[in-house]
Amino acid sequence: MAVIDSTAIPRKPTQVNRQARTAWGLATPALALMFLILLVPVVVAAVLSFTNYSLGNSGFDWVGFKNYGRLFTRSTYEKMFIATFSYVVVVVPVSVALGLGAALLVNSLGRFGDVYKTIYFLPVMATLLAMAIVWEFMLHPTIGVINQTLEMACGTVLEVIPFVAKGCADGFPLWLGDKDYAIWVLCFIGIWQGFGFNMVLYLAGLTAVHRELYHAAEMDGAKSAWEWFRLVTWPALGPTTVFVVTISCIRAFQVFDTVEAFWPQGGGPNKSTYVMMFAIFEKGVQQNLIGIGSAITMLFLVFVMFLTLIQRWLVERKVHY
Amino acid sequence: MAGLSINSITKRFGETEVLRDVTLDIADAEFVSLVGPSGCGKSTLLRIIAGLEDPTGGEIAIDGEAVTGMRAADRNLSMVFQSYALYPHLTVAENIAVPLRMRSLSAGQRLPVIGPFLPGSKDKRAEITAAVKDAAEMLEIGALLDRKPGQLSGGQRQRVALGRALVRSPAAFLLDEPLSNLDAKLRVQTRAEIAQLHRRLNATFIYVTHDQVEAMTMSDRIAVMMDGEILQCDSPSIIYEDPNDIRVAEFIGSPKINILPVELHERTLSLFDKPVGRTAIGAKAGVYQLGLRPEAIHLAKSDPLLTGTVAHVENLGAEVFAQVELAGQTARVTCRAAPAARDQLRLGAEIGLSFDLADALIFDADGKRQRGVEVTLDQPVEAA
Ligand SMILES: Nc1ncnc2c1ncn2[C@@H]1O[C@H](COP(=O)(O)OP(=O)(O)OP(=O)(O)O)[C@@H](O)[C@H]1O
Ligand SMILES: [Mg+2]
Repeated sequence: MAVIDSTAIPRKPTQVNRQARTAWGLATPALALMFLILLVPVVVAAVLSFTNYSLGNSGFDWVGFKNYGRLFTRSTYEKMFIATFSYVVVVVPVSVALGLGAALLVNSLGRFGDVYKTIYFLPVMATLLAMAIVWEFMLHPTIGVINQTLEMACGTVLEVIPFVAKGCADGFPLWLGDKDYAIWVLCFIGIWQGFGFNMVLYLAGLTAVHRELYHAAEMDGAKSAWEWFRLVTWPALGPTTVFVVTISCIRAFQVFDTVEAFWPQGGGPNKSTYVMMFAIFEKGVQQNLIGIGSAITMLFLVFVMFLTLIQRWLVERKVHY
Repeated sequence: MAGLSINSITKRFGETEVLRDVTLDIADAEFVSLVGPSGCGKSTLLRIIAGLEDPTGGEIAIDGEAVTGMRAADRNLSMVFQSYALYPHLTVAENIAVPLRMRSLSAGQRLPVIGPFLPGSKDKRAEITAAVKDAAEMLEIGALLDRKPGQLSGGQRQRVALGRALVRSPAAFLLDEPLSNLDAKLRVQTRAEIAQLHRRLNATFIYVTHDQVEAMTMSDRIAVMMDGEILQCDSPSIIYEDPNDIRVAEFIGSPKINILPVELHERTLSLFDKPVGRTAIGAKAGVYQLGLRPEAIHLAKSDPLLTGTVAHVENLGAEVFAQVELAGQTARVTCRAAPAARDQLRLGAEIGLSFDLADALIFDADGKRQRGVEVTLDQPVEAA
């Protein structure tokens, strides 16, 4: 860049000025909009996070870092962090890996690939709220399909599995009502819902892989599918992977609708699924505690910003050739 | 090191027939060039030999062993791709090292962090590094070893691709236009390097090129392909002097060979209705085509066989090529002259041309070479 700048043809100052003015003029609407709808709300939220403001109150008091202090001391928020990070740490790797695997399989299929593409993408298109109702039915402790299926295993050889044996003796899990299972059910649904999206992104990435490279790899003695993958596919998917991981992380941090649909009151059994977005909603909207809601929002933004910065760094430094 | 035999290979892509019954036997350590116009199926043939493409019919044997159905990685060939096909995420050195790493290191030894510490790995890695350095030095890309392909020019990439193929000693080398993007100096130099490498390794080479000079200077034999067929495969001098087909004669040689229509009637051969020679008894009467290389046509001192005006002159220094528009004809003929004749060859000048019928190649109307038709000029026939 610097090289290009220094060798640019020198122009007359007036011309430069005029060009600069035009450039600013053209950029102004976009800049104004960006300030108004992106930066101002963030700044407002940042300011509010230092207050005890409630909607409808005429005034508020500055409380300093008290809201943030609470976030790091109260056990509710500890549960919030545990739930959020458990969800992110499970859903992101699994949905990325499944998305990649599905994309590779679908890509190798040819004509039938389109059918699978559609099937895997269905959960992405379906409204999660509607799907949550279906899941709620399936996961119902007594009349749900899942527990009824599991009960069929009772009395068969499958009872050697401890989980089945225990279920047959004491009843199968309550799933949504059990604090040990709730978060994993949430993760499962998150993966089920999200990996199709990652698959589509990876499919797009795969079209950019130069086919001749596989031939070169073959000539160079790469025989197994794994060697081809290591030598050609995976490096070519680098930019896609960075994007997919970032998007998946942000989406995982944003998980909300499933929690709201399953546990409208309070974020799951023993707050085991009390994820950040739900906390923001509960504090800021339901309980009208704008201050603490804003503080969680700021923390959320910091996480997302951090992820985005990592992505930018990776894209610029590592994966572009 | 091995011979190759290609036995009636055909290839179709859907309805289009790209290769038609291609048969070619290549001896051990032979250097064979494949030449032909764009789209005639050279790359396709090379990819079928490599095993990257399945033939629709026919067989390939390497060193007497049929390899049809054997996968490319097991055929022990190395190839330069027309599109280079370099790994974009690897540096030049890593790119060149890939074939050696894949074949001489075990899967464990190739692992990123622990691989170098496995037993035997260190020596092999040192060998690979040395081989890569040698190849890079030979191709003058030693200074580029740490760059990625994206940071190279087309010619540099091509040399990296060449390095990746030449770093190994396979059963045979398949090179698909490996010098097409190099500048003139580097091309001559790399040509010499490849020829030297061929002599040193005594390896079999199949070399696809558009460049006649490359084909003529490097090859033991040249195979001329057209429309999916090998028209002729012979040594460069035979291909030039004694082609079997008018398409071969037209494809090889620059400037192009002159083709003039002649008629044979009652043992008299006439060119533009003017008798020019007689044939022995036995040749069928009819229309023939006379092929004359530019160097076979010379300026006539007297009794010209052809007359015309100079339409275009190309002065190459050591020789001059003149295009002459024949009087009363639309055809042009190209003739070669010595620089001393430049004064005569002014644009628009009227000149007379002559040739020796013994230098002419005679083809029938379909373009097949007629070797039986002996023409003599011994008894100039007066026009009736
Ligand atoms: N995958 C394919 N599907 C259909 N047609 C193909 C395919 N690959 C090649 N062809 C056709 O086969 C013919 C021969 O192609 P090929 O690449 O072998 O030509 P070539 O002789 O190498 O030409 P060039 O000198 O331009 O490289 C072309 O007409 C091309 O259009
Ligand atoms: Mg080609």
